[in-house]
Amino acid sequence: MESVLLRARGVANSRDITTYLQAGGWEGFKKALSMPPEAVTQEVIDSELRGRGGAGFPTGRKWSFVPKDHPGPKYLICNADESEPGTFKDREIIEYDPQMVLEGIAIASYAIGAHTAYIYIRGEFFRWAKILEEAIAQARAHGFLGKDILNTGYDLDVWVHRGAGAYICGEETALIESLEGKRGFPRLKPPFPAVVGVFGKPTVVNNVETLACLPHIMTRGARWFASIGRPRNTGPKLFCVSGHVNRPGVYELPLGVTFREIIFEHAGGIRNGRKLKAFFPGGSSAPVLTADEVDVVADFDSCAAAGTMLGSGAVIVMDDTVDMVEVGRNLAHFYAHESCGQCTPCREGSDWCLDILNRLVQGYGHPSDPDQLLRICRFASQGMTICPLGDAFSLPISSLVSKFRNEFAAAIARAKPIPPKKLPVMPWVGKDVRFGG
Amino acid sequence: MPKLTIDGREVEVPQGTNLIEAARLAGVEVPYFCYHPYLTVVGQCRICMVEIEGQPRLAIACATAAADGMVVKSATSQRVKEAREAVMEFLLANHPLDCPVCDQAGECLLQDHAMSEQGGNFASGMLETRRTFPGLERRLLGPHVIQNQNRCIHCSRCIRFTQEISETWALTYKNRGNNAYIDTFDGRPFDDPFSACAADVCPVGALTVREFRFRKRAWKLSSTPSVCPGCSIGCNIWIDHHERIVYRFTPRENPEINATWLCDYGRFLSESLNQQDVVHPKRRLKEGWQKLPWAEVFRALALDVKAAKTLRVVASGYMSNEELYLARELFARRLQGELVVPVFMGEPRKMKNGRRQWLYSQSALPNLEGAKRLGIRTVDEEGLARFLYGAADLTVVLDPQAHPFLATPEAVQLVKVSPTVVAARVDAPLLEAATWVLPAASLAANEGTWVSSTGKVQRFAVAVAPPGEARPLWQILALLARALGFADLAVTTPSQVFQWLVESEQSFAGLDWNTLLGAEQTSYRERQHVG
Ligand SMILES: Cc1cc2nc3c(=O)[nH]c(=O)nc-3n(C[C@H](O)[C@H](O)[C@H](O)COP(=O)(O)O)c2cc1C
Ligand code: SF4
Ligand code: SF4
Ligand code: SF4
Ligand code: FES
Repeated sequence: MESVLLRARGVANSRDITTYLQAGGWEGFKKALSMPPEAVTQEVIDSELRGRGGAGFPTGRKWSFVPKDHPGPKYLICNADESEPGTFKDREIIEYDPQMVLEGIAIASYAIGAHTAYIYIRGEFFRWAKILEEAIAQARAHGFLGKDILNTGYDLDVWVHRGAGAYICGEETALIESLEGKRGFPRLKPPFPAVVGVFGKPTVVNNVETLACLPHIMTRGARWFASIGRPRNTGPKLFCVSGHVNRPGVYELPLGVTFREIIFEHAGGIRNGRKLKAFFPGGSSAPVLTADEVDVVADFDSCAAAGTMLGSGAVIVMDDTVDMVEVGRNLAHFYAHESCGQCTPCREGSDWCLDILNRLVQGYGHPSDPDQLLRICRFASQGMTICPLGDAFSLPISSLVSKFRNEFAAAIARAKPIPPKKLPVMPWVGKDVRFGG
Repeated sequence: MPKLTIDGREVEVPQGTNLIEAARLAGVEVPYFCYHPYLTVVGQCRICMVEIEGQPRLAIACATAAADGMVVKSATSQRVKEAREAVMEFLLANHPLDCPVCDQAGECLLQDHAMSEQGGNFASGMLETRRTFPGLERRLLGPHVIQNQNRCIHCSRCIRFTQEISETWALTYKNRGNNAYIDTFDGRPFDDPFSACAADVCPVGALTVREFRFRKRAWKLSSTPSVCPGCSIGCNIWIDHHERIVYRFTPRENPEINATWLCDYGRFLSESLNQQDVVHPKRRLKEGWQKLPWAEVFRALALDVKAAKTLRVVASGYMSNEELYLARELFARRLQGELVVPVFMGEPRKMKNGRRQWLYSQSALPNLEGAKRLGIRTVDEEGLARFLYGAADLTVVLDPQAHPFLATPEAVQLVKVSPTVVAARVDAPLLEAATWVLPAASLAANEGTWVSSTGKVQRFAVAVAPPGEARPLWQILALLARALGFADLAVTTPSQVFQWLVESEQSFAGLDWNTLLGAEQTSYRERQHVG
């Protein structure tokens, strides 16, 4: 397949706006500006573009939830928080083609009637925040951003906002809270951001990759986009392949290839001639697939049918040296650390899972552990929590337990007796340090 | 008005009512920890899960609005039961379960839920050591609130209180996930003027009030509806008492005045009600003080009163409408004396009502409004000095606390020149100048009505019997009236006087003594609901 999203990779001076313009850049936005906003939205609906941020929600549909007659401001947010373990595609786009992201932002903002857009970028992405700042300055200088863009009367300002290092701030409502200057706590939904978003105004949150698709949809048409991939799962997709493969990296492939193609053809197969054991098809929040399931098609619907999800398209590959209990511990460690702590099942459950898995890894397993893990995961997912982070840790961990139960059983069979509990000791604080008595 | 069914009971509720309140109206209790009727709904604790017919997932009742035709299952759903058991298992996984030494025991939502809904039956698969917060187990957050973070269930009620009600933003979460804990913003002391409310809203023993902690088990306390004497706003309170001792004030729900809040100043007046320095009626003779039984007092005092040609009386904005009415009738109308009520502002206080509007105190006196309604002359400090400066054969001070000026040496000098009757509860400089000292009972041992500065007539009830020979002021006035031959004023309960008020004063017309206590919430859960 020809490169669409990554076409600038390897091109000299690819970030520069003149390079982008030579490649036909900003034409999509010009075309959008010549159409009524509803027609732009319709074009995106027709392209069947689905969100690349994780949930795979149809992008045009999401835009259409924004109230048309809302009197006050509306906002577009580009979600560049990219913190899902195994995911490194948005960074790649920004690295080589920041103008494409900006053009996508401009198209989406125009379609929903926003005059302010924010790029919420992961705090650690210092370099890429700078790249975006420079790109914005260039786009402004060329009149693609700012007041009265290309004499159409349309105004748009784009601001870069850096996060402060929390995975949860990638969740769109936590992102919005964080953007407002508050603690990154996900909000209760409904109302959805499209109705009540940042500063209480209608807001659309889209992923970097989602937005990067828009210039191409505008220039080449919805029909072209929809011709890539399979029905309802259209367009090019970036797959971040990591783990025990020979050629880890970001691959742009049409939706609808199989994971076998991704792992064995594009990523060069398992390194050191070892065997594939399992892989996470869509980031660490997606339930694990085993080597037997490697022929699953890598698109949203097929992954869902296989009981997992395409998520962000991060394929984390594990060879046969990997201990699945340790994998579980690793995941639990991440999610227990990243749970925002608001709601009971996720706060307590993620940490409890971590405790159990830590114990298992240290060789103190107990026969009740697998079922206990499954019970925790059952009640920390499926709508028991405020945001999907509950599902994000529960579903992969329970998939590990159910698919590799033998490994858990083996760990338990090897186990030493659990040492007696340490009673929590209350230190005697005779004086309050702060008040001197 | 949506009509819905909850656990088989049909109920019609106002538009926008959430399912917890709708269930309450239907007589079904849905448990909750993070929900509070006067705070924003956050849906954090997840114990309020209910099943709604036609929806695949369980919903949280606190954040779901009742809709027409909804069929909701709470106690009758097996799925709900399992989900709630799981939430309890999560919450208790790290909860210290130190109820026997926890001061919240007996009024803890977590304990209540564990014991009532779950019948005290628990099976937890937890093999791990509990996470603890070393150093945060008994920490003084500010002057009144002590924190034990181990018990915290992360409901964020305390934080929301400081953000939405007191608006100091004093409390915040620190850290994340299971290590999140409550701290003051920037580590400053928690000296919010409403700080103890954070402990009120805390459903568990994570935040407790230093003044009350370990003084009495919650289940020993009886609660009597009353009104805060702290200022003219007139917040509704419960006087919590046991064996004649007042232990604390807690907020009593009143959406129009204090919602479910109290300021720290008002709240911590509670202990002062136990003070009774003056316990016997006594008369000053040349040889010194002579104690007299009440009957003697009235006989002798009546002679003194009759002998006085000019009579001046200082009443008080702390007196009830009934007491003020009796004082006006007896001293001003029948005996043709002069009667004044001193006014003073004191520290300004404020309170937030149920619509989140601030109310500001008009004075430090809880019943200045009542005195005004009764047409009694009010005087400021200068007016009071001038009033006392004139000569009179007999001075009556019904409350030495009526104005700070009465505690000054100047005031003592002014009243010393003539015989003076003082009704008092606590020691006051004025007692040096008194010829008669009559022990008056505290608010806790009195009953009557006050008018708040927003014009609401509010009743307070008798919580404890008066100590020693102290008597409520209305009784002292009624018995004095009888001794003076005005048998018609010799009431045996203030409700009689109230009836006269209703009949004679336009601003009291139509009121009913029996309904003036406000809603009486008695069940424990209701108390938590309101405080
Ligand atoms: C815990 C959590 C973390 C998330 N992190 C990201 C992220 O880093 N980047 C992202 O684009 N979307 C992330 N999402 C998804 C967003 O909530 C949101 O669905 C997405 O930005 C929508 O964009 P899309 O419609 O273009 O996919 C996350 C979701 C959850 C629940
Ligand atoms: S599910 Fe986890 S991350 Fe999401 S709101 Fe609840 S505690 Fe926070
Ligand atoms: S301290 Fe109390 S009120 Fe505050 S979050 Fe913890 S349990 Fe809730
Ligand atoms: S505001 Fe006034 S009435 Fe209310 S608690 Fe404080 S002192 Fe009492
Ligand atoms: S009361 Fe509904 S989630 Fe806490």
